[in-house]
Amino acid sequence: MDQHKMTIPADKWAPIDRGAQDAEFIAAPSLTYWQDVRQRLWRNRPAMASLAFIIFLILAAIFGPMMTHHTYYDQDLKLSNIPPIFEVYQTSPEDGEPQYVFLNSGNFKLYEVNEGGEILGLLRAKRKDLMKKQHIYAFGEEELRVDYSQLPATLVDGDGNPATSLGLKWNQTNWFGTDSLGRDVLVRQLYGARISLTVAFVAALVNFFIGVFYGGVAGYFGGNVDNVMMRIVEIISTIPLTLYVILMMVVFQSGFLSIIIAIGSVFWVDMARIVRGQMLSLKNQDYVAAAKTMGASTKRILTRHLLPNTMGPILVTLTLLIPSAIFIESFMSFIGLGVSVPMASWGTLTAEAVETLRAYPHQLFFPAAAISLTMFAFNFLGDGLRDALDPRLRK
Amino acid sequence: MMALTLFLIITLTFFLMHAIPGGPFTSEKMLAPEIEAALNAKYGLDKPIWQQYLSYLQGILTFDLGPSFKYPGVRVNDLIREGLPVTAQTGFLAMLCVVALGIPLGIVAALNQNKWQDTTIMAVATMGVAIPSYVLATIALYLFALQWNLVPTFGLDDWRGYILPVAALSGFWLSFIARLSRSSLLEVLGQDYMVTARAKGLHPQTILFKHGMRNALIPIVTVLGPVVANLLTGSFVIEQIFALPGIGRHFVLSISNRDYTTIMGITIFYAAFLMLMILIVDLLYMVLDPRIKLAEKS
Amino acid sequence: MSSAPLLKVDNLTTHFHTSRGDVQAVRGVSFDVKPGEILGIVGESGSGKSITCLSVLGLLKANGEVVDGSADFEGKQLTGLSDKDLRAIRGDDIAMIFQDPMTSLNPTLTVGEQLIETIVAHKPVSRGEARKRALELFELVKIPSAASRLDNYPHEFSGGMRQRVMIAMALTCDPKLLIADEPTTALDVTIQRQILLLLKDLQEKLGMAIILITHDLGVIAEVADRILVMYGGMVMETGDVYDVFESPQHPYTTGLLDSIPDVRSHKKERLTPIPGSPPDMLRPPEGCPFAPRCPHAMQQCLEAMPPLFERPNAKPTVHEARCWLHHDDAPDSLKAIFKAPEAANG
Repeated sequence: MDQHKMTIPADKWAPIDRGAQDAEFIAAPSLTYWQDVRQRLWRNRPAMASLAFIIFLILAAIFGPMMTHHTYYDQDLKLSNIPPIFEVYQTSPEDGEPQYVFLNSGNFKLYEVNEGGEILGLLRAKRKDLMKKQHIYAFGEEELRVDYSQLPATLVDGDGNPATSLGLKWNQTNWFGTDSLGRDVLVRQLYGARISLTVAFVAALVNFFIGVFYGGVAGYFGGNVDNVMMRIVEIISTIPLTLYVILMMVVFQSGFLSIIIAIGSVFWVDMARIVRGQMLSLKNQDYVAAAKTMGASTKRILTRHLLPNTMGPILVTLTLLIPSAIFIESFMSFIGLGVSVPMASWGTLTAEAVETLRAYPHQLFFPAAAISLTMFAFNFLGDGLRDALDPRLRK
Repeated sequence: MMALTLFLIITLTFFLMHAIPGGPFTSEKMLAPEIEAALNAKYGLDKPIWQQYLSYLQGILTFDLGPSFKYPGVRVNDLIREGLPVTAQTGFLAMLCVVALGIPLGIVAALNQNKWQDTTIMAVATMGVAIPSYVLATIALYLFALQWNLVPTFGLDDWRGYILPVAALSGFWLSFIARLSRSSLLEVLGQDYMVTARAKGLHPQTILFKHGMRNALIPIVTVLGPVVANLLTGSFVIEQIFALPGIGRHFVLSISNRDYTTIMGITIFYAAFLMLMILIVDLLYMVLDPRIKLAEKS
Repeated sequence: MSSAPLLKVDNLTTHFHTSRGDVQAVRGVSFDVKPGEILGIVGESGSGKSITCLSVLGLLKANGEVVDGSADFEGKQLTGLSDKDLRAIRGDDIAMIFQDPMTSLNPTLTVGEQLIETIVAHKPVSRGEARKRALELFELVKIPSAASRLDNYPHEFSGGMRQRVMIAMALTCDPKLLIADEPTTALDVTIQRQILLLLKDLQEKLGMAIILITHDLGVIAEVADRILVMYGGMVMETGDVYDVFESPQHPYTTGLLDSIPDVRSHKKERLTPIPGSPPDMLRPPEGCPFAPRCPHAMQQCLEAMPPLFERPNAKPTVHEARCWLHHDDAPDSLKAIFKAPEAANG
């Protein structure tokens, strides 16, 4: 149909009703910057999952150790190196209750358990046949032999037939098993989380204050103050910082406090740089000039106008600083410079697991998983925050 | 500037080490006072601290880092000379991996933004950034050496011995550089001059490499200096886990032995090396970014 | 008009695929450019004027796609041409200059190199010859001490000089058509005029056609022969510059003209801004895109898209406007809002 020629009814020529039409054109409600950021972060699933994980970790680290009778230092050498999952075998006596046992294939020892998977104790072998490579255990009339002539070791009955298996059971006494000194891995793991998270947050906070103060002063005053201060930062940033954390740990002797001091005093340089850059670009903005004209004090301009607007990049730097603090702490602990025994940190737990790696590889799993997941979570959260704050993505 | 920084590092290291309560011979072992005095005299520790400092500085000027306190007759220089080939080899190979794999992977990811190549590379790279190198090294050691016997568990006698240490050492930075290359190239691809280059009818390869990568490399090159430094510190644990006789292992050993001159010497050696790397990076940077030259001139 | 058009764009439609849906940046734009003429395309940011030109040259970002229509350059279909064939045309027959000469030049290459690589890409010449040509071009665009400036980097030039470099770069292969995308917007007012005059001068000297994209009607008035007013990804009005400026036939054009200060007028007039903001191109309105902001909008405008109505013209160029008020059925009282066009032939 040719629109040039078609007839248009007269009522169509009526001017439109602006009121009704405006209502039709109400766009999505405009959001403030932070509302927008929050909404975008909320939609970022990996970041939200990470945040949930971090919250869970914090809660577990705080309340977990309170909910168990295990402690991070109680040793029980009889029950050392117990795995978190084991295969339960059943004895079949002619009369009376059957007994349940499991074999620790790492040390060829036999432990008594109950049907549910709770550990009752270490069993003593009746005799050890070193020639045949068998340990013989007696259960009343019955005999069970741990045969380690071929690895992995197996449990056989007196005639050499495999013992009756009830299948895999989760260790109910020590959910994550025990370490080489018979300490509960879960509790040590949770204490490790406490250490790692505390170090991370305190170090990040120290860095935050030093960095924001230093960078804020340099950026706000500019000129020669800025020149000198940034020269210093330049020098510091050429120093291999990890080395200095190590040196400080050597000087202060290892321990929880020194690790915080060492990490906290060294990693503020990035933060200072970012805050300074933000300050420099923001202080020339019109709204700062407006505040100045209205007679706002330096302090007020700094805290009311400049800092809130530098919050975004600061927050991102902070979130990404946390995993590096966690990493440095665990790294230090791993090479033996971290928290002192019997305190546990993810680094020391990994180091201990490395020592028993050949016999008990599973001990590596928990600390490795814990630290990797935490690093993951903070990285994702930091990335998510950065994406959410990036105004270039803002539509 | 470099010399000043190095001087500051030497001074800081020296006084940090001497701030440790007690002399190097008072701790741990119980020594007869006269033996301790004799040892102190032998190593010049009975002199006032500023004299020790001056003679240490003098030593450094002649590239002499002094004697080891723990191995009689061994000088720190010897330890470094002995460990350097191992550390340098693994470090160089790791660096090669970082640059020769990290950057191309980043490019592939950027050019296929949000496609499966990108998603896969970034997922692996995120893992590489999140998993600490020592954890990666241990897991790799367990799987490839202990479980599957694909590579030797320690030593560098065989070329296969290099695989795990180099992989573990470069893992983090490889991932880091891949991520950085991706974001840097993506940023450059969105620049106006890339549209100009296309509007001029240039070949896509010319556009990507001459206009795109040249600019995208600038932020990558800036971090390469610190990467070298971190590969070196990373070598502390890697050399320990894989039992490689490199400088890092000497360093960790000297820490547990409280061998202060060795700690000091290796720190200063590392710092000097890092300075050199930063200098090289700065030069490279100037070649890449002409805007820097102007800033230097004015 | 006797001469065949150099470029004929017909019903060009470009969409950008985004996570929130398709952004309909260009919706059925048709126009042509004759050899040696200057066509001005005017419109607010987001009206689709730049995207139209980028679509013609196949320079859209990865998520952009020409979904319909065609662009015909000297009988060659540009849309659907392989990248290789398009490359041969870009920078050679059709060149483009951009808004911000600061960001449009590669900061890490000398300006000479950026010129030379364009020449070498299109002409079978040695680098030495290309350099000679680059020098000629620098002199042509009046860059002082041209020879020594070739080896400078973009940051060593002032804004105006950088835009001269961009122009020189565009002229390397004597293009038949130059697309200038807001070439003066990022420059100081005094420099703007110099660049504009240079463009006009070069156009006369070299006889090329120019598409001048701008949001500044003053620029159009100064140099263009014909004008294309775009809004919401569509052509709202087109015609000879004289006709359109003297008797605009679309409320949007009227609004644009009212919102620029007229220094020649001594009356104390208030500038009238156009209220509201451009339409969301994710969900463009069904009817006239300007209707929500139009002071004369009617029910009809909201319901149906007006076609282009031909208007009488004083100059020998067709004058068209996309407004329902030009429909035969429109009440005369409303039609009176437009200044009656002076018809050349009665």
